[in-house]
Amino acid sequence: MCVGVLLVEDDERIRQALSLALSDEGFTVDEASSGEDALRRLETESFDVMLVDLTLPGIDGLEVVRTLRSRGDLPIIVVTARTDARDVIAGLEAGADDYVTKPLMASVLAARIRALLRRRGPGREAVRIGDLEIRPQEGLVHRAGERVHLTRTEFRLLLELAGAAGRIVTREQLLQKVWGYDYFGDTRLLDVHIRRLRRKIEANPDDPALVLTVRGTGYRIRS
Amino acid sequence: MKLSLRCRVTLSFGAGLLIVTSVLAFATWNLASGYMLRQREASAARQAEVNVRLVEKSLSSPGLDELLAGLTTGPDSTILVLSPGRLVTAGRKVEPSELPPDLVDHPPGRARLTVAGLEVIAVTRPVAGDSVYVELFPLQQLDRTFGFLSAVLIAGTIGSALLGAALGSWASKRALKPLAELNSAAGRIAGGDLRARLPDQDDPDLAALAAKFNSTAHALEQRALRDARFASDVSHELRSPLTTMVNAGAVLRRRREHLPGTAGTALELLTSEVDRFARMVVDLLEISRADQTDDYEPEELDLSALVRHVIASRWRAVPVSASPVTVEGDRRRLDRVLANLMENAERHADGAIFVSVRQHGSVARIEVEDGGPGVPEALREQIFERFARGRPGSRGDDTGSGLGLALVREHVHRHRGRVWVEDRFPRGARFVVELPAVGGPA
Repeated sequence: MCVGVLLVEDDERIRQALSLALSDEGFTVDEASSGEDALRRLETESFDVMLVDLTLPGIDGLEVVRTLRSRGDLPIIVVTARTDARDVIAGLEAGADDYVTKPLMASVLAARIRALLRRRGPGREAVRIGDLEIRPQEGLVHRAGERVHLTRTEFRLLLELAGAAGRIVTREQLLQKVWGYDYFGDTRLLDVHIRRLRRKIEANPDDPALVLTVRGTGYRIRS
Repeated sequence: MKLSLRCRVTLSFGAGLLIVTSVLAFATWNLASGYMLRQREASAARQAEVNVRLVEKSLSSPGLDELLAGLTTGPDSTILVLSPGRLVTAGRKVEPSELPPDLVDHPPGRARLTVAGLEVIAVTRPVAGDSVYVELFPLQQLDRTFGFLSAVLIAGTIGSALLGAALGSWASKRALKPLAELNSAAGRIAGGDLRARLPDQDDPDLAALAAKFNSTAHALEQRALRDARFASDVSHELRSPLTTMVNAGAVLRRRREHLPGTAGTALELLTSEVDRFARMVVDLLEISRADQTDDYEPEELDLSALVRHVIASRWRAVPVSASPVTVEGDRRRLDRVLANLMENAERHADGAIFVSVRQHGSVARIEVEDGGPGVPEALREQIFERFARGRPGSRGDDTGSGLGLALVREHVHRHRGRVWVEDRFPRGARFVVELPAVGGPA
């Protein structure tokens, strides 16, 4: 399988080095040097995943992520030079699936991309939780008969929780299964995604009835 | 031992008031008791004068006994009339021999004396030629008054001394309050809290000191912030070129076989150093971030689960003994603490051989044990400093950033915990992390 990656980065040297290293890892890498360039190419070409630097001239990375998210569920990994909570959370809130911080190694990035593109989830049968219906085979979720658009990551997060059938799924398990994190599990990554998921499937996201928080441990789905 | 200033002020206030009031009490006592005694003597003399006149008239009559009995003022007073060859007494029984002869032989006279165990004023008067009239006035009433007076004066003196001490204590506390604030603020600054300031002072003497202290603290804080920002800026600026270098290095390393001999060795050196450089910059950023901005997000978590998870992710072979204990902390930082301790053990002691998590009273305790050479006493503080390297017995090809243990300490302190290293029996070192536990012993 040849995975097509769109790398959006304004620093030419980084772009070249990352592109070479990712090619070594077996990806087909296309480069874009600005947000405008990236959006233009995405209209005509298709990619499996996009890597986008948050600090770009012109349209900045956050805007690119937001625009793309409104168009579809292309997996997005944001690359940031800062590890400030604000930047990371802003990127994730905008719709990114994962983030990496510079200096990033192509091997780590490759592992992230592979984890993101993995389609495997527990269970093949359709699952019903309240008025929510999940069909893993088709990758569809319906709420009260109406289709809910989830990104690939949100869908896998929901599947992991649903697969546990009401048992607690720890943060570590979720980070490991959905994002492929071994350790240094980032709570923010999970929290933002849970928040996004709730906004889409809960009647009242502030008072969740389906995805319940188990304080200090993780999450569980209402069985 | 030198007494504290507050103690000395309290004592001197107390002692000062004690001296002043006791002088006053003493003077009061002297004046009042002298005056009352003189009054009593004068009235005794006057009464004796009147009585003598009555006695004179009926000296030879047989009714003298009854007259004298009528003249006595109470059970304790005594009247004696001594005539040659005759003695008439009334009231309390007193023998003439008990009276001083001088007084009786040479009337008129007046004296204060103790007769038959009772203090009295004795007044003598000559009566009709060769007889002597003696009247003894008891001083019991006056004694009781004196007793009461002295009790009041002593109580007053003690009370005022105590009042003085209390006043001194209060005044010194008030006067020293700015000093106590200064002390606590200086202590906080010494402890690393550079935001500590003194409140504004109304007193012109103290305002200058407070202003000076605050401006010094402000300058110190600014400087520390500048330093931290500089470290952060530097490492931040290094990130972009490092990304290029690390990835170009990875590309080159894959083609290692095309570069035999010297060039290959040089490439190996270059790429491994670039990797180390990258690690160092990442750690430096993390530590400078710990210094200033705060994205610390505490949550309640089970430390034993966290430890098991970290160990299972990379150090599967290391035995773990973990019992549940809840702490409030930042998951990512605590992951980092344990991972760094494990890496440190790998680097210096062929890896950890045992990891445990337990609750000890009100603290949660993580222990990481290794079977290496241990850490000499003299270096046990030093190894937690930034870039503290060259631990004797460590290997030459040290590839660490030199910030691993410093980061451990930084993160542990942020969690209001402690970290130290101790000897392990029979050999090796034990790194201990203590964090405040949430809730009582499980």
